[in-house]
Order: sequence, then structure tokens, then C-alpha cells
Amino acid sequence: MLLRQVVSATRWNQVETLIKVVKEDVGRRLVMAQPRELAVGNIVRRVLRLIREVYNSEVATFDDNSAEDDDKDSNTDDDEKEDEEIKSKSSQKIRTFSFYGGSGTGTNTHSSMINLLGDGSPMGAKRASPLIISELQEMINELENTYVNIIDQAMEHIHSNEIIMTVGKSRTVEMFLKTAAKKRKFSVLVAETFPTYLGHEMALSLSEAGIDTTVISDSAIFAVMSRVNKVIMGTHAVLANGGLISVSGAQMVATAAKHHSKPVVVCTGLYKLSPLYPYDEDSFNDLVAPDPVFSFNEGDLIDKVTLLNPYYDYVSPELVSLFITNTGGHPPSYLYRLINENYDPDDTDI
Amino acid sequence: MPPPSKTSGKNLEAESILQAVVLADSFNERFRPITLDTPRCLLPLCNTPLIEYTLELLAVAGVQGVYLFCREHSEAIKNYIKKSKWSRSYSPIKIITIVTPEARSVGDALRELDAKQLIDSDFILISGDVVSNIQLEKVLDAHRARKSVDSNAIMTMVVKEASPFHRTRSLGESPIFVLDTKTNECVHCESVELYPRKRRMTMDMEVFKKHADVQIRNDLIDCQIDICSVEVPALFTENFDYQDIRNDFVHGILTSDLLGKTIYCHLVKDVYAARVRNLHTYDAISKDVLSRWTYPIVPDSNLQEGDSYEFMRGHIYKEKDVSLSRSCSLGEKVLIGAGTEIAENVKITNSVIGRRVTIGPNVEIDGAYIWDDVKIKSNCSIFRSILANNVVLEENVIVKRGCLLSYDVVIGPNVTLEPYTKLTKHKKTSESDNEGEESNENEAYDSTLIGENGQGYIWSDEVSDTDDDEFDTKNIQIAGLAHDISNISLTDSDSPPSVIYDSSSDELSDSGESTTEEESLKEFFKEVSQTLERAFLDGHTVEIASLELNTLRMASNTTFHDLRVGVIPTILGQIDIENLLTSAEEILEQWGPLIGKLIHSRQDQIDTLYILQDHCAITQHHSKLFAPTLKKLYLLDVLDEDAILEWNSSELADDDPSKSSIRKKVAPFVKWLEEAEVEDSDNDD
Repeated sequence: MLLRQVVSATRWNQVETLIKVVKEDVGRRLVMAQPRELAVGNIVRRVLRLIREVYNSEVATFDDNSAEDDDKDSNTDDDEKEDEEIKSKSSQKIRTFSFYGGSGTGTNTHSSMINLLGDGSPMGAKRASPLIISELQEMINELENTYVNIIDQAMEHIHSNEIIMTVGKSRTVEMFLKTAAKKRKFSVLVAETFPTYLGHEMALSLSEAGIDTTVISDSAIFAVMSRVNKVIMGTHAVLANGGLISVSGAQMVATAAKHHSKPVVVCTGLYKLSPLYPYDEDSFNDLVAPDPVFSFNEGDLIDKVTLLNPYYDYVSPELVSLFITNTGGHPPSYLYRLINENYDPDDTDI
Repeated sequence: MPPPSKTSGKNLEAESILQAVVLADSFNERFRPITLDTPRCLLPLCNTPLIEYTLELLAVAGVQGVYLFCREHSEAIKNYIKKSKWSRSYSPIKIITIVTPEARSVGDALRELDAKQLIDSDFILISGDVVSNIQLEKVLDAHRARKSVDSNAIMTMVVKEASPFHRTRSLGESPIFVLDTKTNECVHCESVELYPRKRRMTMDMEVFKKHADVQIRNDLIDCQIDICSVEVPALFTENFDYQDIRNDFVHGILTSDLLGKTIYCHLVKDVYAARVRNLHTYDAISKDVLSRWTYPIVPDSNLQEGDSYEFMRGHIYKEKDVSLSRSCSLGEKVLIGAGTEIAENVKITNSVIGRRVTIGPNVEIDGAYIWDDVKIKSNCSIFRSILANNVVLEENVIVKRGCLLSYDVVIGPNVTLEPYTKLTKHKKTSESDNEGEESNENEAYDSTLIGENGQGYIWSDEVSDTDDDEFDTKNIQIAGLAHDISNISLTDSDSPPSVIYDSSSDELSDSGESTTEEESLKEFFKEVSQTLERAFLDGHTVEIASLELNTLRMASNTTFHDLRVGVIPTILGQIDIENLLTSAEEILEQWGPLIGKLIHSRQDQIDTLYILQDHCAITQHHSKLFAPTLKKLYLLDVLDEDAILEWNSSELADDDPSKSSIRKKVAPFVKWLEEAEVEDSDNDD
């Protein structure tokens, strides 16, 4: 997840110096390259929003100034055209980068991010650029502090001797629980999350941090739910209606929690909040190879059966009680407000 | 322009460039007649040319240099590569196409490679029609690790676990691998043709001596991805008769004592890898892609630029701009390319439909592969067939299973094509097998077969010039598109499929193997004595006889010891017992040197003596032979005195009365030898 965050940071650093139209172009390509990674689109949208705001305020100041600015404007236009050419080349670079370099290590991507920041700086000649860059820098900082902001709230939500259930492996949740464990004693039940068994990794990491951890099989979720105080889980993306795209199995956990009236708390950075609306619960899902579910070796059978191995689950908003984001806790019904604050309605369709 | 990202740029400097050799030609004619027009690696599988899958695999593995070997249609491949994304400036891999028109086999291509000295480190040898999502880095690491342990390891073959009758495992073409359980070293590799059915395979006893635990496996898919060391092309050059990488090269390396090289297998379990070998596997792999076994290499990840596939429930993939009528029904595993129009009441299941295809009303399609720009008019039915680009089906055409309609063929109206019909626009000419000549438009087509407006000729598979035509055609049939596996076992009621199961059972007992070994030894002895008797009769010279025997030994892969065991009794058998001394004199005068030719060291001499002794101890008759033979051989310098003395002093055989009586018989001779020795040493003083 860190990788994704850094990669997205890289991407929009290059995006930053592009003119609005080109940006949309680049943004679209970025999104197309990894259509399932909604966070990419979200970051692009936020950047666009930001640039719009800066641009609008600039335009307002332009209007106050005298005619000599017009010359400057035309100059800027020329510059912009050249820039577009340069940038369209670099955008191709980005594209391939996202395709092939996407799996590079976090540190490498980080260094390349800084390089690209350097590339961007000559553009500072333009009036709006320094402003945008500083704004973007703020955004980077915000993204980098996402985890810190979220885990700071851990104490408010986790109390002593509570039993917490979680599913899958989420870095945010992991850090959230570990922070809470520094001051409080509580126990965690981890659903093993077939077929990826991410729950096993999660449990290992938590128990290494000294948290009382129990792994349960997925089928036992409903049975133990009555003893659980709270469900905390991470998510892959949050959709406009407050629904989650989360690891497969999350839907079952959330439904069981609803049945037993247990609160479901979702820890997520705001960058995962997407203004897209799920018209079809399959629309953002990803079906991966059915190998873990059913062995390929069963030669005769695979001809006759249909095998599905969805990677994600759609969790409907009614099942979620609270979102803990880097800007604080929000109920699902409040998300529309966050979307309006963060994204421009024009950018919903990239 | 530099490589796309700075990260990979650093890797580039750190380690030498990873190279791959892609064989764009399959060196066979399985896909005829379609491959008359298009090279095999550009055939579309799920609307993406096969080579895209291979190149994508290599790109993901971090390969930077690719050598693409092509033979037929090299221009088409070159053009394709030039236009594809791989030759853009930001492409991570650099493709160099090498055209080898004279290459007739994989061996030729690799010899070419060696001649050009292009490879300077380990490389990936892959055929241009492999579909896989395997992570080659891991295989490479494993190969390197093995190499550091066993410096003779020259190759790692990637094999995938499946079951013997798996649809993706091409029947009759996947070899049986014999692997060391611990190290996965491939100790034997036997290709299995389905017809004629093999009932036994022979393995060297050495195998069991060297490896405590071996597995014989018939459930592996040979993916045709090999990690080869630099030596491999050179070995091909040295052994100029190697053609095929599996049958000749692997077999040759494993059976040759001289080279001492080892080959390993890399078993993969939870990733996908398979090669499009024939129409049957084309069908199977298409299905695997559509049912997402190859994830992330699936249509909706849109590998190629301009693809816009979307996944829908029930394994339906649809590109943009597809117009479906309201009443058409799409079943499972259907892929539809852009610009396709499907009319009312059309039923499609398990099929791939290309781009810009028009399908008329009331058409039924099941298990068919319909490529680009095909026109299908109303009321047609197509079952488990391939329709290449620009095929036109007029009204009421029924295409039964296993048909192959090559480019631009027109069928109909009102025609039913029998199963396994292959049609092409190329008229087959007897003199040129490689290039079907362009047919004259005016020439008459067989209108009873393909209809009034039909255009196209029947393509019959030419049977290669081997003796067993029947078997070949049977094999070809199995390779055909729609051949049911159940059919095979049904039609061959005389040879139940359990035969195959037998050989696939994981471990055969050693005793079972050694009996076959013994049998082969007996056979060998028989042949040895026959050879010798021929030599006796025809009065061959010693040189010729020894040459013959040596070839025989090589052929059956036995030792000199075995050969001597065979030769000595046969020669002694020629001696006339009645007239013992003179005939022994005669025979040994002539053939003693032959025994001498089989002896190379002192140890061999002693060995010979034991064989002689054993043979003579069998009966009373024989025992008489011993002393004169020994004497004669000594005189002929075949055996020297030291060996005889050493043999005599050994206590091994003394428990056997007949043997000890032999000893007694030679005692005077030995004594004489000893004295002679002493005299010798006295003289020296």
C-alpha cells in the first residue's frame, strides 16, 4: 500500500507541470493502465481540483492586472504548447513506468519521484507553477502523513479487554492495532481469508508485536461474531455511496457483524475515496486465476465446471458503521461531503 | 531513449543483460493450411497474436534482449514487430529478428546462434507460442543456484504439473520425465507418441545407481521454456545431427557418458504455462485464457494497445462497439472483438469471435474460433472449428467439429461440412510442399462440397515419409481441434488406457526395472554371439570384428565387461573338445587378439581371467579348455604374467570345487611363470 501511495505520488508529480487538458489526457492514461487501482484516479482528480483552484484564483488576480499581462499570457501559451510536447513524451514514459516499473521497490520509486520533482522545477518560471507546486507539496505531505493521522485516533476506538475482529491484511489496520497495543491490552481475531490467506500474514505480524492474536477459519466468522466487540478492517477503495471494495470475505464479516449488531469500522486514507458509483457490484471487481480454489491438475473437471475466484468483495454502505480517515471519523452518509470537498464534479469521468 | 524507468536502468548496469531466444517458427506443419498465409506465432489466440503472450512474459521477467528466429513469413513477423509496441522507444526489450531460411529445426537455429556468437550468458530459450504467467526470475534464480551447486547443469526445463489426460497437455507429444525426487534433476526423458503405443521404456541401470529416489512422471506439461547456459548452442554445433531440443538434445545429453552434463526440471504448480502445439492445445489454451487460469494475462487486462475488453459475468469478454441484438444469447466463455455485429436469435457458447465479424440471424456457434472480418449469414451452425480471417459462410451452412477454414474461403449456401475438413484457397501442388500456389480464380471449385458460391480447396494433410502412415494420421487426428479424449480410449478398446496409467504411477520398483535391464543384457549377449559367429563363418579379420562389437556395445550402452562376458564363451565354444589342443591352438591363434582388443588394463586382464574361469567351471568339458587357453593367451601377449599371478593369488573363487580344480590344472603353468619371473629378475641382476 505504501508502494501504491508512493507510486501515485510519483505520478502526480509529473502530472503537476502539465496543463489542464494534457493532464486529463495523462490522467486518463494512468487510470487506463491500471483500471482496478481506483486510488490512482483519485489522486489524479485531486490534483486536477487543486490546479483548478489555483488557476481560478490566478485568473482572478490576472483580471486585476493591466494589459501587459496579456503579452505574458500569450508567451505562456507558447510555452504551454512546447511543454505539452515535452510532457506528452514524458507521459508516455510515465505510462510505461506504471506498467513495468510498478512493481519496483518503494525506495527506488521514491528516488525517481525526487528526480522527477527536479525535472518539474524549471517550469516554476510561470506564475501559477510555484503556487501549484507548493500546494502539491502540501498534498504529498498529507499523503505521507495519512497513516500517522489515522493511527493517532487508535486510542479513541480501541478500549481495554476488547475483542476485535479483522479480515485480510491491511497496513493501515495493522498499524492502527499496533499503536493501540502500546497502551492497551486487547485481543484480535483474524479471519484467515481464503484463498489468499492474507489473514495468516496479518496474524503473524500482529503477534510479533505482542498482541494476543487468534486465527480463525472463514467459516467460523459467524460463530464467533457474538463474542466480538468490534470489527476493524481495511479496504481497497471506498465508493461514492460509502460502499467498499475490499478483500473477498469482507462482505461475509460485515454481514455477520450486522446480524449481531456489532460496529464495523473501516480504516482508510482519504486517497482511497473515489467519486465513482457502483452500478453493478461486479464492476470494480477483479477475477484472478482460480488456481488456489481448485487445482489445475484436475484435468477432466476443469472442462466441466466454471471456476470463479474474485479478489474483491463489494460491501454495501449499510453494513459499515464508521470510516476512520486521516481527517477524522466519518459515518458513511457523510462521504458525499468529503467527495465534494476533494474532487471537482467535472473530473468524475476521467 | 533510455529504458522506461530509472529503476530498471540501474539493474541493467548491475548485472549483465538478460537475453532470450524466441523461436518464431515451430518447424512443423500442424497448423497447415492456415500457416500458409500467416506465421504460427502471429495466429490470434483470443484475438491477440501468440507472440504477444510470449513477449509479454519476457518483458515482465526483465529480459532486455530478444533474438527472434524466423524462417517462414519472416517479412510478416518483422513488419509486425516493427509496428507493435515492442519497437517503440520506451519498450523495455530490444528485439532483433534473425532470419534463417535454411534452418529446418530447432537445432539449426541454435547452431546459427552459436555461429553468430550472440549469446554471452545464460539465456531463455522459448518458443514463440507460449502462453504463461510464470515468474521467470524465480526460475532463473533457481537455475543459477543449481549451477553453483552442480557446475555441469546446463539447462533447466520448465514443466507444469497437470494430470495425464489434461486438456492442455497435448496427448502424444508430452514426454515422460524421470526425475530425481530430491534435486529435480532430469535423469531420463522419453517422448511418447500415442500411436504406436509404447508399452515399455528402457532406462540405464546407471540411473538407479546414481539416484536413490526417482520419479517417473507422465503428468507434466512441457512448457517449452528452457533456461540454457552458454554451452547449449555450442553443444548443438558439436552434435550436428541434433534436430529437436527434446528428442535429440535432452536425450543425447542424458545418455551420453562423455559430456557428463546434467539437465534439471523446474516444476511449477500454481502458475500457468503451456505452449500452443497443435489445434487441440490451441483450443485448450484458449479456454484456459477465457477461464482466467492465466491471470493476469487475460483479455480484460488489454495487453495490446487499442484493446478495450471488459469482463462480464459468466466469463464473457466484450470489446467496445459490439452490437448485440436483443434476442441473442451469449453462453459461457465467450470473447467478442470490437466492431462485431450479432443479429437476432444467435446462440454463442465457448467461442472466440474476432473483430468486425458479422453474424446473421439464427446462427448457432459452439466452441468455434472465428477470426477477424468473418461473415456468417443466416441459419448457419458452427461447432468446434476454426474460421480464419475473411471467411464467408453463406446461408444454411453447417460446419461440424474439427474443421479448419483458412483465409478467404467461401462456403455455401446449403452445405454441410463433414468433421475434420480443412479448406484453403491455396491449391495444393504436388511438387512444392512449402508454398501452396495461388489458385486461379477461374478454376473450378468442388461445388458439391463447398456449395455454389464456394471458393476453396480441400487440404489433405501430407503424411510424412515414415513407414507407419496409419499411426501418423492417427496422431494428427488427435492433435486435431475437437478430438475428444474419451474418444481415444473408446476407439482403442484393444489397448486399454490403463497402459498409460501404468507408466504414470509415481515410482516403479527397482526390481521391475532391473528385469528389463537383464533382458536387454541377454539380448545383447545374443547379438554378440551372433556377430561373432558371422565373423567366424565369413572369416572376418580381427579388426572388423572388434569394430562391430564396439558399435554393438555403444548401441546397447553396455560396458566392456559385458562384452567380454559375451565374447569369450563364444570363442571358446568354437574349440573342438575332441581335438582339444590343436583346435585350441588354431582358434585362439586367430581370435585371441580379438579378446586382446577388448582388454585395456591390468584390471581388465584379471576380469577376463575370471570370466574365463567362470565359463570353464560350468562343465567338466569346459574345464579342460582352461589350461591351454590360458597358455595360448599368454603366448599371444593378451594376458601378461603379472595379471595371471595376481589372479592366482586371489582367494575369491576357492570355495567352488570345480573352480579350485581349474586352479589345480593351471598350477604347473603358474609355477612355471613364477620361476620365469624369478629368472628374469636374476638376469636383471
